[in-house]
Amino acid sequence: MKITMVKKILADGSPCKKCGEVEQKMLEAGHFDRIDEVLIADERDLASPGMLLAGELAVDRAPFFLVEEAGKPPLVYTVYLKFVKEILNQATEEKDELKEILDNNPDLDFL
Amino acid sequence: MTAQLLDVIDLETRLQSQSPQEILGFALEQFDNIGISFSGAEDVVLVDMAWKINKDIKVFSLDTGRLHAETYQYIDRVRDHYGIQIDVLFPDTEQVQTLVREKGLFSFYKDDHKECCGIRKIGPLRKKLLTLDAWITGQRRDQSPGTRAAIPVIQDDRAFARSGDKLTKFNPLANWTSAQVWHYIRSNNVPYNPLHDRGFISIGCEPCTRPVGPGQHEREGRWWWEEATMKECGLHAVNLNDKP
Repeated sequence: MKITMVKKILADGSPCKKCGEVEQKMLEAGHFDRIDEVLIADERDLASPGMLLAGELAVDRAPFFLVEEAGKPPLVYTVYLKFVKEILNQATEEKDELKEILDNNPDLDFL
Repeated sequence: MTAQLLDVIDLETRLQSQSPQEILGFALEQFDNIGISFSGAEDVVLVDMAWKINKDIKVFSLDTGRLHAETYQYIDRVRDHYGIQIDVLFPDTEQVQTLVREKGLFSFYKDDHKECCGIRKIGPLRKKLLTLDAWITGQRRDQSPGTRAAIPVIQDDRAFARSGDKLTKFNPLANWTSAQVWHYIRSNNVPYNPLHDRGFISIGCEPCTRPVGPGQHEREGRWWWEEATMKECGLHAVNLNDKP
């Protein structure tokens, strides 16, 4: 299994806050060692590896995780808690998962 | 065709220029296990359009427990008008009780609305979407310049998809304006929520919705005590669309 994390640099050159928070959580939980590759999606550079991968996978947000395993279709996770629950087998609180979904998809609160 | 064979990028390009009815027709033709999310507001146009294509449409609605009485009455009116079942979804009792016990009935005025919306809307929505292959929403770009400006007509919904599976989301009204929606409602005598006649444009939960005045954006009628926030996690859409 190969896990790729894509994190973002904003158009003004600053690092994505959410990406930093997720990385910190992974470090604290000892999960960061499971990441095989970290790619940067630099909004100032269309050819940055993370932007290219995001375009290829039609992902419009960061951070996101790509999980590749021989003989299986690749999996893309844009919800961090879903990723750690399903791939890293970490127990998560449902209310935290729901809040993260809403944080990442603010358009949903209009439903 | 199955969901797995749909290439949403190519389809987005194709469907962008099509009418909501054509997009709905496509969605209903491609997927049997597909549901329409109905909020009890002007997204009723989707129900009307879809019902004219297929009388056996599946419609679901999120009952947060905090809707206006008028909205509950309206949901039943739509059910009777079209002769359809509307699957009304409820939040998890234990989660609501815990939230209310710990933070009271109006925590959203002190914190923000996301914890409450997460429990009362997103939880039941996720549970429902785990049973579907595709869903249809009434989301439009003009509803919120901050959070809905880049809504596609069709998208891979990775937030709610079953593990290792696909969920396709259709937003047939993405390119329509509020004026077009209301022109459709009036032209087709579609029943609408009476709250609209009292100045409500966007209708959600009673404590979090208020009427807006002339010239105000509908977003100002929702969670008005919170500052507008930028969409932090999005990758700049122009960059992605312009990829070489």
